[in-house]
Amino acid sequence: MNDLTPEKNPSRLAKWSRRGFIGAGVLAGGGLLIGIGVRSGNPIDALAPKVAAGEGEQLVNSWVKIDTDNIVTAIVPHCEMGQGAHSVLAQMLADELDAAWDKVRVMQAPTDGSYIVTDTARMFVAPFTMNAADWIEPTWDGLFTQIGRFADALITGGSSSIRTTGQHQMRVAGAAARTMLKGAAADAWGVPAKEIETRDSTLIHTASGKSAPYAEFATAAAEQPMDQSPKLKDPSQYRLMGKSKARTDIPSKVDGTAIFGMDAAPEGLDLSYAATLRAPVPGQRVVSMDAMRAKGMRGVLQILNLGDFVAVVADSYWQAQQALNTVKVEWTKPESAIGSTQDQFDAYAAAIDAAGATGGEEAAAKGDAASAFEQAATIIEAEYKVPYLAHAPMEPINCTAHVKDGKCDVWTSTQVPLMVRTGISDATGIPKDAINVHHPYLGGSFGRRLEAVYATMAVRIAQATGYPVKSVWSREEDTQKALYRPAELSRFKGGLDDAGKLIAYDNIFTQRHDPAEASVPGIYAIPNTSVRVAEAPLHLPFAAWRSVDHSQHGWFIESFIDEAAHAADADPLDYRLAMLEGSPRHVAVLKKLAEMSEWSAARTGGRAKGLAIVESFGTIVAEAIEVDMSSGSPKMTNIWAVADAGYVMNPDGFRNQMEGGMVYGLTAAMYGELDLEDGTIVQSNFHDYRMLRMDEVPEIKVAIINSGDVPVGGAGEPGLPPAAPALTNAIFAATGKRIRELPIAKQFA
Amino acid sequence: MRNSAFLAVGLLTVMLAACGSAEPAPVVEQIVVREPGAPVVDAGEAPAVLDKVALGEEAFQACTGCHNAQAGGPNMSGPNLHGVVGRKAGAVASYDYSDALAGSDITWNYGTLDRFLANPAGYVPGTDMVAGAVRDGERRAAIVAYLASTGE
Repeated sequence: MNDLTPEKNPSRLAKWSRRGFIGAGVLAGGGLLIGIGVRSGNPIDALAPKVAAGEGEQLVNSWVKIDTDNIVTAIVPHCEMGQGAHSVLAQMLADELDAAWDKVRVMQAPTDGSYIVTDTARMFVAPFTMNAADWIEPTWDGLFTQIGRFADALITGGSSSIRTTGQHQMRVAGAAARTMLKGAAADAWGVPAKEIETRDSTLIHTASGKSAPYAEFATAAAEQPMDQSPKLKDPSQYRLMGKSKARTDIPSKVDGTAIFGMDAAPEGLDLSYAATLRAPVPGQRVVSMDAMRAKGMRGVLQILNLGDFVAVVADSYWQAQQALNTVKVEWTKPESAIGSTQDQFDAYAAAIDAAGATGGEEAAAKGDAASAFEQAATIIEAEYKVPYLAHAPMEPINCTAHVKDGKCDVWTSTQVPLMVRTGISDATGIPKDAINVHHPYLGGSFGRRLEAVYATMAVRIAQATGYPVKSVWSREEDTQKALYRPAELSRFKGGLDDAGKLIAYDNIFTQRHDPAEASVPGIYAIPNTSVRVAEAPLHLPFAAWRSVDHSQHGWFIESFIDEAAHAADADPLDYRLAMLEGSPRHVAVLKKLAEMSEWSAARTGGRAKGLAIVESFGTIVAEAIEVDMSSGSPKMTNIWAVADAGYVMNPDGFRNQMEGGMVYGLTAAMYGELDLEDGTIVQSNFHDYRMLRMDEVPEIKVAIINSGDVPVGGAGEPGLPPAAPALTNAIFAATGKRIRELPIAKQFA
Repeated sequence: MRNSAFLAVGLLTVMLAACGSAEPAPVVEQIVVREPGAPVVDAGEAPAVLDKVALGEEAFQACTGCHNAQAGGPNMSGPNLHGVVGRKAGAVASYDYSDALAGSDITWNYGTLDRFLANPAGYVPGTDMVAGAVRDGERRAAIVAYLASTGE
């Protein structure tokens, strides 16, 4: 087992879990995890009206409510952006509660600090880092709670919903609620609680013939003591988990009644609409604004210079946008020295050159790479580069805001509702407790809506006008004026011994964000490793983009390993398997992939296969892609994926996420690129920032391995990182052309 | 990897910093044209009289989902229309026209463009321009005037 992969240290993990949850107790150690409604001295009265306002509804604990119609409502703290989190979290809760699935509803948790997803916060504080410095461990609980508050960590991201909120909160809440219901029924019926069975939202005592729907004891259950560490089900007892239950949001998305941020139409509010224009180069401010023409245009209500951006408010969005297009703005001089794409990569290259053979910040080190290179029979070197990328979610960026009598209501699609609240408060001076963030479904996000700027802009406009305004960004604004997956440069040097074995590995790159282990080739047993980061300027603001640093490093590492395999004249599959001998889960995933993709079958007719394996967000995913190069440019003909997430809660939903991750990653690999000219992004809309189309995506076969007995992994992101390297490795196998720069398509134009 | 926790805190700080400045941001300039629900044209002021080209440019915005009319602008779903008046149909070399339009032998002028915009598929059956017909004759004339101005 390789010591570069901290998350694979089971003893640490067990310790972590006990400390963070069971041992310390949910309520004492991290009272915000679950059950705040039943913690003594907790503000249940303040919270109850927000989630159980209806007559006859009784709050059992803060993650589940049961009403008098016997409907169980899971109160989900994560947002729903198409990933299926709402439904699968309810599924996990309902299973432990033994609720009937057709009587389960999902409710978005209100934007309230009580719902800070503490486990998620901890993951963002110490992503997968179980070997944190010892001195800090005793204070972890305090630290993460504090930082959770500090960062307003009501976050949906990091492929975390199932493995944090689901595993440690929803299931526990469901099990605790079931225990409380049983306790209440036992008291009423005068029988031992352990003789009471639960099934389909019903309490049953077979010996006495008594049975009752949960609703009957919901009120009494709230008076029952809450077991802080209720026994969770064993997989053999699962009724809903592990099954492809239909998602609860399907009907509304099919019949069009689903409400997304863009659909916000708050009752009683007559909305006006704003279009906004931000600076072409990040950091620029408005020097002057000429709105002569806009003033005379139809529908225009107001034209605003807000210092860092300009807005036109009108009767309709279209009128606002048309008028805004005529507003001439002079901006301050850009501060960044980087004007072009070339400037950005020159800055990276200079930083890497300056770091030299041993400089830069250490990201990972093992053995003695420098000495090992002296022993190497063969040295291989490669430099890879990837461009800036936008998220390009389908639903335009938007926020509806109303500021009245010192209070603020906003309706917006966001992954971080509490951060939105803080951002608004900071920008406007409105106190946080006077700000109510309503956040309906997101029409895609991929990390785009992990920030608060667009909401604060909308509120500043609504505050200035005094009436409710829906702000909508044009597609061009979102493509050019947002936050971005960083461009990246990465240099590798590998040393192979006489047998072709990789004995020395050196990598230096320029942008390190998150997760910390993304750049570490930790799954492979390479005896001498050095991974370093050279500090370099980044022209555009950073954004987490689906799989974050894994999106770059997955491609870098798996391309370089492929290069090493070819330098060793070895089959890329066999070469990887040899370096994974101590990791049975990785071996099993690769062997399954080889079987599915008929890896060893002969390649014919311009077709060839490539593969890659990346572990990210706790899930191991290997992918193989077959390309047909007979037309001279790559056409994908087959895609296979094998994933081991420990245990998959909803196989259909998991497959959807794997497929979505792959298609998103392949879109970027084939076409994704933002260029800079004069400090400004050149691409503007889908015609020049194009997506992979249906006819370009072959059938995707996904196999799931439930290896069990390991922490459950994520789903939303892990499908992405192996996709690009599997494709470029396939192109190499077919043509001998090694792709070291993305995107691919323009290199075959 | 001792410092990874702090790196992640750094990330959170970056995310927070993106939330806005600590000082409430002032409104630098606020031009109030009218209140919501108020009549579109203020009786106290003469409505802005726009010439035909300017009207056409505004009307052309409806076409910009598929067409760009700037010199050197890109082809989108439809070809760049800069200087289209006076040239042959299917003349933008970098654009992949429908066979119908490429083989139509039409020269674009005020008359042919007016006919085409009124009913694209009726005038050139098989054209890829399946949307964007302009029913209002005045708007059509204004759009054509604007397009003609781009070639001047």
